[in-house]
Amino acid sequence: MDTETQRKWDAASRTLDLFAWGDDQRLGPHKRRLFRKIRGATLMVAAGTGNDFKFFPPGQHIIAIDISPQMLERAAQKAATYQGTLELRVLDVCALPFADASFDTVVTVCTFCSVPRPVVGLRELYRVLKPGGQLLMFEHVRSKIGPFGIFLDLMTPLSRRVGPDLNRDTVGNVQKAGFRLRREENVYLDIIKIIEAVKE
Amino acid sequence: MYFIIGDYVAGMLIGALTALSVRAVVWPGMDMVMAMLLGMAIGMVIHLGLGLVLAPLLGMVYTMAPAMVIGMYGGMLFGMRDSMAAGSRTLTAAASVGALFGFLVVLGIQLYDRALHGAVVDAED
Repeated sequence: MDTETQRKWDAASRTLDLFAWGDDQRLGPHKRRLFRKIRGATLMVAAGTGNDFKFFPPGQHIIAIDISPQMLERAAQKAATYQGTLELRVLDVCALPFADASFDTVVTVCTFCSVPRPVVGLRELYRVLKPGGQLLMFEHVRSKIGPFGIFLDLMTPLSRRVGPDLNRDTVGNVQKAGFRLRREENVYLDIIKIIEAVKE
Repeated sequence: MYFIIGDYVAGMLIGALTALSVRAVVWPGMDMVMAMLLGMAIGMVIHLGLGLVLAPLLGMVYTMAPAMVIGMYGGMLFGMRDSMAAGSRTLTAAASVGALFGFLVVLGIQLYDRALHGAVVDAED
């Protein structure tokens, strides 16, 4: 387990929900639309404080993992209100204990901005997905628009100390991990994206 | 509607505060490069501080993206303007120019967002 990352996100768990209201109102409908595609055995990576559980369609069987025990402590209450099965486990996405081809769907929300070795983590997701399984991602990435991209590069050394990297090429990383890109959609500028990929 | 108005109010507030702060520390005749760098630094501090305060109400990235352009690039422009003694004569005028700059940036970003919105790749079966 990456204890440095764990400590960082344990600390962040105290303030994460303070920033949620505006994002929930503006981004929630997009997340709900993406999560409608969930099918079969589902793994959610980086559940955080469970703020996104409310956007899941009811009746699913979902295992939600996070590297931070304190995040999941906060998530437990929200998981209890979900109308389906939601199991919480403290795990590192780079070393999953699941057998190959265990899941039909993997869901991530603002996850691969924070995983220190994103391609390693994505390869692990590729391994645990069944052939034909889908990866549904709601992520913020580095902008290709000049002024935004430069700013995100400048801010990343600072943001990384307390939270995520702001300049990840997550679409590229998904493809490097072996997935076939099924859909890429801009939600806000080219910074917040829905990324859907498939294991073939 | 709340978010549309909120985005413009936030942008105008950050613009006005940046313009006023830059004006307070940059004097006419100051080396222009120094003034631009100072303006950028002031703008970054203001946009980060105000951005964090407004983010819970408007959303993190929806606040930070325009705030960054207004603070960082606006701070440079205001610094250059003030060092050339081409700036506003009164504080009210300086704040108005800052607010106008903030408004225009938010407008531009909203139009750009509309143009970019939607599928970039769509290979669904």
